[in-house]
Amino acid sequence: MRGARSAKWVAGAIVVAMAATACGGDSGDDKKSASGKPEGYVSIEVGEPQNAPLPSDTNESNGSYIVKALFTQLLEFDDKGEIVYLNAESVETEDSKTWTVKLKDGWTFHNGEKVTAQSYVDTWNFAANVKNNQKNSFWFSDIKGYEDVHPEKGDPKAEEMSGLKVVDDLTFTVELSEPVPYFEYKLGYTTWAPLPSVAFDDPKKFGEKPIGNGPYKFEKWNHNKLFQVAKYDKYKGEDSAKNEGIQFKNYSTPEAAYQELLSGNVDMVRQIGAKDLPKYKQDLGDRAIEQPYAAVQSIVPAFYSKPFKDVDPKVLQGLSMAIDRETIAKTVMNGTREAATSFTPPQVQGNQDLDIPSLKFDAKKAKELVEEGGGVPGNKIWIQFNADGGHKEWVTAVCENIRQNTGVECIPDSKPDFQTDLDLRDANKVKGMYRGGWVADYPLNVNFMRELYHSKAEANSGRFNNKEIDALMEKGDHAKTLEESIKLYQEAEQVMAEEMPAFPIFNYKINAGYGEDVENVNVDWHGDLVVSEVTTK
Amino acid sequence: MSDVTEAARVPAAAPDLEKNAPAGTESGPVGKPRSLWSDAWHDLRRNPLFVVSAILIFFLLVMAAWPGLFTSVSPRHGDLSTHYLKSPEYGHLFSPEWLGYDAQGRSIYARVVYGARASVIVGVAVTLLVTVLGGLFGMVAGYFGGWLDSILSRILDTFAGVPFLLGAMVVLNTFDVRTVWIVVLALAFLGWTQIARVTRGSVITTKQADYVQAAKALGAGTGRILLRHILPNAVAPVIVVATIALGGYIAAEASLSYLGIGLSEPTVSWGIDVSAGKDQLRNAPHVLLAPAVMVSITVLAFIMLGDAVRNALDPKLR
Repeated sequence: MRGARSAKWVAGAIVVAMAATACGGDSGDDKKSASGKPEGYVSIEVGEPQNAPLPSDTNESNGSYIVKALFTQLLEFDDKGEIVYLNAESVETEDSKTWTVKLKDGWTFHNGEKVTAQSYVDTWNFAANVKNNQKNSFWFSDIKGYEDVHPEKGDPKAEEMSGLKVVDDLTFTVELSEPVPYFEYKLGYTTWAPLPSVAFDDPKKFGEKPIGNGPYKFEKWNHNKLFQVAKYDKYKGEDSAKNEGIQFKNYSTPEAAYQELLSGNVDMVRQIGAKDLPKYKQDLGDRAIEQPYAAVQSIVPAFYSKPFKDVDPKVLQGLSMAIDRETIAKTVMNGTREAATSFTPPQVQGNQDLDIPSLKFDAKKAKELVEEGGGVPGNKIWIQFNADGGHKEWVTAVCENIRQNTGVECIPDSKPDFQTDLDLRDANKVKGMYRGGWVADYPLNVNFMRELYHSKAEANSGRFNNKEIDALMEKGDHAKTLEESIKLYQEAEQVMAEEMPAFPIFNYKINAGYGEDVENVNVDWHGDLVVSEVTTK
Repeated sequence: MSDVTEAARVPAAAPDLEKNAPAGTESGPVGKPRSLWSDAWHDLRRNPLFVVSAILIFFLLVMAAWPGLFTSVSPRHGDLSTHYLKSPEYGHLFSPEWLGYDAQGRSIYARVVYGARASVIVGVAVTLLVTVLGGLFGMVAGYFGGWLDSILSRILDTFAGVPFLLGAMVVLNTFDVRTVWIVVLALAFLGWTQIARVTRGSVITTKQADYVQAAKALGAGTGRILLRHILPNAVAPVIVVATIALGGYIAAEASLSYLGIGLSEPTVSWGIDVSAGKDQLRNAPHVLLAPAVMVSITVLAFIMLGDAVRNALDPKLR
């Protein structure tokens, strides 16, 4: 009997032990940061990249910070989403099918090699080639001849894409397989940055000590601890480094990094952990950063699931109207989100304030609409989310809004991690709705509609299918000019406001902070800190 | 037999009371003979440990059965615009704002009251299931012995080898929606071995007693022996283990819910609330406090009850 009793106490002890290890994490990191920082350098909390920082093989947020420091692509966007040329002198087209790129003169890689049109053509051919297994290869799929270097099955039929042609040292042309009016905007992604010719001999070895054309050159990489880069003096771009170098430091949790920020061991923290959010503005004063960026959080009905199979759009409008977005953003999310007013975030071109009732809270009207539309079969819906992403609180609040205001039972459906969540979406196994977040790849409204709600789009996991919207988007894709394309997409968005292929809930904000030793810390439209502009005091 | 009656009256003098007491129930016209059970009851009533735990458990049971008696507010009703993380008003006893509001704007008092149901159901149902299943298993193994016992004991060892909490995590992880009954089955599935062992041991001791041999000699059938002679005499230690374990099952449910693999929303559970409260620890500690205190009180009450019952039933410990 006594033995039995002590066996049960384990139940409590395990919980305590877990809490204890969580605290232990913090103290472990203290030692790491004790390592000195060279004069004039700034440090930022950035985790170990998933793999070597090659532009075409990096699609996660840690690696992309490092890629941004080491490499520079053709162009970039300012806060308003307008194009700013970096390595390109100009990018021009007449028919949206053939694009002419002119490079700025005098740019060099960190090893002294000149950045030429050939560098770009070689890099893009390398990135697109199926044999090189680069994660971002699909970004090059608009270019003519992509199918030859990246067939769906088997070995590539060619080594080079036929759409890429070098005209002279600083000029090359890109022919697309079909006109894409917004192709220039895609070029703003770092994955289009050039590699020096040494990279292609042994990409793996190159990745350990990468050589780029960016404002910083590689200095050292202590895996799982530190990545250090130094200012590249011969950099020609306007975004040249304002400090002597950067240390990217790894921490086990955002909370640990935040403690290090408070004790002055790291200069910048990209994300404040959930536990510190309520207090970080008090702790940091005007060194706290809270700024919106181009991302939208939605809940998306699965149009194959039982509750939404033959749903009347009125029901969807009603359910969406039952959600008090502003209060949830203010309370549950501690003001770290803003209520969404359209399917696109304010930072992208073509964003319009839809000013439609379905995105505005109105409990009475919501109930009427749901009833008019015949309600939901079974009078019960689920909202699927990943438990590892800090979504539980707001999904619960959204559900409670729906339940209280429309009488439809709503249950938060927690999945342990993002991978499980995504697998269920891909396998068409969502029970009712799912949570979906989307961050801009390029600052156009197109990016938030074509990729998500076209019936043939890969990320359309709700399997929304509306012929009218499809037709409008396709018309937009083949429009003569960018303006026209954006306008057609805006028209599509108006129709979407009736059909509700998703309920936009929040626009994201970044919550970051910096220490007393640095200043000029800004955030770009993408939600990243602009480290090159940071100066030491 | 007569000395047995004596022994019942003066329990301290009869070390082997458990075995022989029922004989006293059957005979014993002399004076006021007390069976093991009435003796235990006599003892319990005078034990403050028992009185306190019984009162606590009575309240918990009422709370679990009729939560509406304690509060008129629904535990799911959240009002974010006015009640978000509102501090407790400790003066307003038993009103919705008494223990404050959580991060969903729900009354913590209402959640604590409604959370009792899940805990009590899990605790009681698991204990019942485990006692019935484990008891049967242990009785069959203990009474028949031989090769049957060998086989059953190996099965038992196999199950006993699975770590309780880890096993429960693995089992529960396979379910998408975890209701109270799924958690009950999962815990019972892994928890029955302990009772089975205790029963087996107790039955083996009992079946060697003289009155069992006598009943056999008189031609009583297996069923009659098991039900009339062995069961009443072997059940005492089983009850003790079961009562103490009950508190443990409640704690296990809370731990699993805390880890996110116990009960799932919208079931109201203290474990879930403790887990939600830990995120607000720095700015609103009251969210964590109430459900955590309730888990502690409940587990404590059942363990105290178990202790008291053991003291009453096991004279050796007096």
